[in-house]
Amino acid sequence: MNSLDPRITRLGLPDAPPPPPDKLALDQFETYEAFHQKKEGTAYAYVGPVHAPSADVAFLFAKEQYSRRFACTGMWVVPTTSVHLSPYADDNASVYDELPAAEQTGNASTAEQQEEALYTAGDEDYDIFHLKKRGKAHVHVGRVRATSPAAALQVAKAVFGDQRPVVNVWVVRSADVLRSDDEDRDIWLTTPEKKYRDAMAYRVQDKIERFKQEQKNAPQV
Amino acid sequence: MYGSASTDHLPTNAPTGLENEDPILLAEFEARIARGEKIEPNDWMPALYRKQLIRMIEQHAHSEIIGSLPEGTWITRAPGFRRKMAQMAKVQDEVGHAQLLYSAAETLGKTREQMLSDLINGKSKYSNVFNYPAYTWADSNVISWLIDAGAIVNQMANAKGSYGPYCRALDRICAEEAFHLKYGHDAVVHLATGTPTQRRMIQEALNRWWAPIMTFFGPSDKMSVHTEILMRWKVKMASNDHCRQQFLDMYVPKIWEVGLTLPDPNLRKNEETGQWEFTEPDWEDFKRVINGDGPCNAERLAVRRAAEENGAWVRRALLSPKAQYVRPLA
Repeated sequence: MNSLDPRITRLGLPDAPPPPPDKLALDQFETYEAFHQKKEGTAYAYVGPVHAPSADVAFLFAKEQYSRRFACTGMWVVPTTSVHLSPYADDNASVYDELPAAEQTGNASTAEQQEEALYTAGDEDYDIFHLKKRGKAHVHVGRVRATSPAAALQVAKAVFGDQRPVVNVWVVRSADVLRSDDEDRDIWLTTPEKKYRDAMAYRVQDKIERFKQEQKNAPQV
Repeated sequence: MYGSASTDHLPTNAPTGLENEDPILLAEFEARIARGEKIEPNDWMPALYRKQLIRMIEQHAHSEIIGSLPEGTWITRAPGFRRKMAQMAKVQDEVGHAQLLYSAAETLGKTREQMLSDLINGKSKYSNVFNYPAYTWADSNVISWLIDAGAIVNQMANAKGSYGPYCRALDRICAEEAFHLKYGHDAVVHLATGTPTQRRMIQEALNRWWAPIMTFFGPSDKMSVHTEILMRWKVKMASNDHCRQQFLDMYVPKIWEVGLTLPDPNLRKNEETGQWEFTEPDWEDFKRVINGDGPCNAERLAVRRAAEENGAWVRRALLSPKAQYVRPLA
């Protein structure tokens, strides 16, 4: 195949190749969900999925895909299979209101005792993410201790249930999250030196003004 | 980089299938959109909504991948280190946009494997403008500025659509493309205000690209039942003519202000109607190219296919035997 681009010509691609076979299942790997911290001290928020063969590679891809162009100070990746979803509520509602009430644990009578009892019954940490509005991103609200994702959702209801609105909740076992290390924070510092990727770096209006001035000053013919 | 042109060969008289949908669920779905709420992947949605969005987002993703090829070919020959870096960053952005869009389409139930297969085997379309070659550095600049400008008009409209994952992807894409537009404009102005040779070079590139640019948004929409439904569901956000007029309004004055001309003697803004008038693009030629007979169709697919095939062994080597597919969440 001949191309204007000599590199493509050199590939020696056939002009009329036989039809390609369909890709095999999982040719593009599993998916991971990525969360970013935009600024030190702010909550981690969902940025999107990546396809990757392992969590480490997912981290690299997510760093490239989601932190390449804008400020970022930390990143988490989670296998999609490890995220447990609550049902979705309407905007302005709370999905916690739709959850069946938790069973009373022991002889807890007040809400605080109930929360305390749920917490001490747990044996693993779970990260909780809220979606406040449809079309926006899930944001990390905190961590609870529970025995299962379903139990973690109940604890989250006790702890975060007064927040409104909550359209949807994601529950992730904390051990399943690959997190960037504070010690490695210098990996996030590459963006500022690449000014040519900012619209601000192009002073095109100056060039246009100069051109118009030159046109005005040019002798009329 | 995507215009609505590639979706326009849809069979507009195909059945909508709405009579088979549960009327209560359909009413709730339409009420949600009418309230201005977004649809998320786990919500009930009519089959037509799902099908149309998959088609649209998938074509958008393909357009990003294929659209990076004519500019990518100029990276090694970009004049100067700074331009090389900027061109590379832009091409990387476009490929990144494809990743975001494939994932958004995937939440609707079509696997990424199937989408990539359908691109290479020619079952899916992409923006028709990328079937034309970038002969010179100036052609690449025209693409960077005006094709991206057209895509931004389209993407800004679609970002107000009803499907959550597509909106999230488009918000990120539009933010990244702000640089593309300025970069392209700067590159075109640089040549237009340069030496007579540079000026001639950019004028010739603009002359070559004007016809494809005028087809970028597709022919006038035939108002059909489909169009009406898809607009109500906030899948199609603006008519092709509306996008084209908006584009001409924003960019023709910017082209003219640096002394460049456009190869259409009929192009003018009718001050009474506020509409641009122009010579109707050659839609027969457009159809011929979109159906495979353009100057670069074969090369674009062959290059994409070679990249897929040459990387296959790496992906196979990395695949864990325990891998288990689920759709991305949002």
